[in-house]
Amino acid sequence: MGIFLKILKIIVIVSVVFFGVTFTVYFFNLDMKLTAAIEPWLLKQYDKVDRDQHL
Amino acid sequence: MAKEIGADRLGDFYKEGSKVRTRREWRGVADTLYDYSRWLRIMMTLGKFVVKPRNVKAMFRYRWMANYLAVPMMVDRHTQGLRGEYLRICHEEQDLIIDDVAKLLDSLFRGDRRIGNDKKFSDKVVLVDENEMTAVMMGFPTLKALSRETPSTYVSVLLNQYAACHYIDVAQEFGLAGDVCPMPEAEAGVSIDDDAPIIGACAIQCNTTCDGSLLGNGVISQRLQHEDGIPVFQLAAPLRHREDDVQEYAAQEIRNAIAFIEKHTGEKWDWKAYFECAKRVNYATKCRMEWLEMNRTPYPQVFGSNLALYTETNYMAICGRVAAFEKADRKISKLAQQAYAKKKMAAKEYRHRAIVWGVQSHYYMDFLVWLLNCWGIVPLTDMLSMVSTKMLATEDTPENREQAIYDMAWLTENMIMRNRTHGGYKVLLDELWEFVEEFNADMVILWEHMSCKALDGMHGLFEERAREKGIPLVWVSHDLFDPRIISRQGVRDQINSFMRTVMQEEPLDPSLEILPDDKSW
Repeated sequence: MGIFLKILKIIVIVSVVFFGVTFTVYFFNLDMKLTAAIEPWLLKQYDKVDRDQHL
Repeated sequence: MAKEIGADRLGDFYKEGSKVRTRREWRGVADTLYDYSRWLRIMMTLGKFVVKPRNVKAMFRYRWMANYLAVPMMVDRHTQGLRGEYLRICHEEQDLIIDDVAKLLDSLFRGDRRIGNDKKFSDKVVLVDENEMTAVMMGFPTLKALSRETPSTYVSVLLNQYAACHYIDVAQEFGLAGDVCPMPEAEAGVSIDDDAPIIGACAIQCNTTCDGSLLGNGVISQRLQHEDGIPVFQLAAPLRHREDDVQEYAAQEIRNAIAFIEKHTGEKWDWKAYFECAKRVNYATKCRMEWLEMNRTPYPQVFGSNLALYTETNYMAICGRVAAFEKADRKISKLAQQAYAKKKMAAKEYRHRAIVWGVQSHYYMDFLVWLLNCWGIVPLTDMLSMVSTKMLATEDTPENREQAIYDMAWLTENMIMRNRTHGGYKVLLDELWEFVEEFNADMVILWEHMSCKALDGMHGLFEERAREKGIPLVWVSHDLFDPRIISRQGVRDQINSFMRTVMQEEPLDPSLEILPDDKSW
């Protein structure tokens, strides 16, 4: 019983922390703010790719 | 932060010079938690996609892949201001489309000679255009119909308004005309820029609708056939699709296309699979007709981008081949009927009932939601959603096998856009005014895609008919894939001026009139 309650407690804590973190990311649009910061770096990478450009 | 529809100032979420919004909306506890749960689901879809090393490799190889960083924001743009059933309908559609595009990308990179290089898989792939009915693939269940243009240009511009600009510039640097439709021009630009996956046993191209499309297909097929060794079939569907005398020719083109696929893949046409798909096409048509029927009443339910974007995907790209879309059709119908029974509205006030006609601005697909939130204009339906409502033969008999060839030809002739921009005066001009009456509309919003020569020639005729009928008509100019010509604010300004000067009205949400979204995705 003791182990069961301990596992349940861990599951509840993990769920609450997961919800807290992901909901903060969701609500303040942090996912999009992060990807917006990544984009310029990716665009520079594409300029370095060798391409056989022609009609 | 408000639970009630229309209580938020939606323009306050934008920030000058930023790609993204400051935060997401608070829609009340139930709707916010629902939206959050769907956001988590999208994150899982994206997570499953990026755990595969070949997809990460593709992310660093193909420039257009950077646009997929903006997937959650695309959904946010379309769900703006929505609550209850409307929010759920939007997520049902958008999330399914995201799933479907993620699978398409995964398949493309699996067979791509540069990335996954799975030759056995690639030999079972038939490439199709983005702007093409996939009806000829309904009887090939063991083959994969994949479009390279759908993820590289079509979806990319939905995600990021500037996505096609690089490819348009590349095409023009190589001397292609700058006054053609920027959609096929960008598709040609992807090929010229050596930025298209190399995959497939063969390809089927369609003589879509215009000079730009023919130009683009020529450039793309040249590279496919002569460098990549992928044979291409040109499916030349007749443009006068309402005429009886072209139908036998159209049917023969379908027979030829099927024979071409059989020859290059070694697979045989499967009638059982075809008739299964035909049943699903009929079910999608039945649902769409029910939604349009509701939109004729004072309580429209599936309209705006909820109708437009989903119809484009389900009718043309899916064409009965994916069972998940039938399930989504059923859910959407159920939600719409629930909301209709309760006489629900998607905005706090409906001031005008509009038919949206012409080819819409692709870089501003969420304009239809803006119309509703800013001015209370309900976009009841749009030209690209008014496609074939003909029921296909579904029973496997010798007569129906012959009829099925004509049904596939009919669908191919009546692909989205082509069924209105070509086919004569009646389908483009006369039927618009029939729909205005049927839907009890009091306004027409006419997109003027400035590079679409098929539509530009009819400008005066539309105005003449609007004057005769006494229906207010507003032109909204744009350049489809290129916001550098007319920006999103340029699009909004045309409506703002019309509503203030001609209609003498004030906006429902003044914060949306001028938005600092010039740098936004």
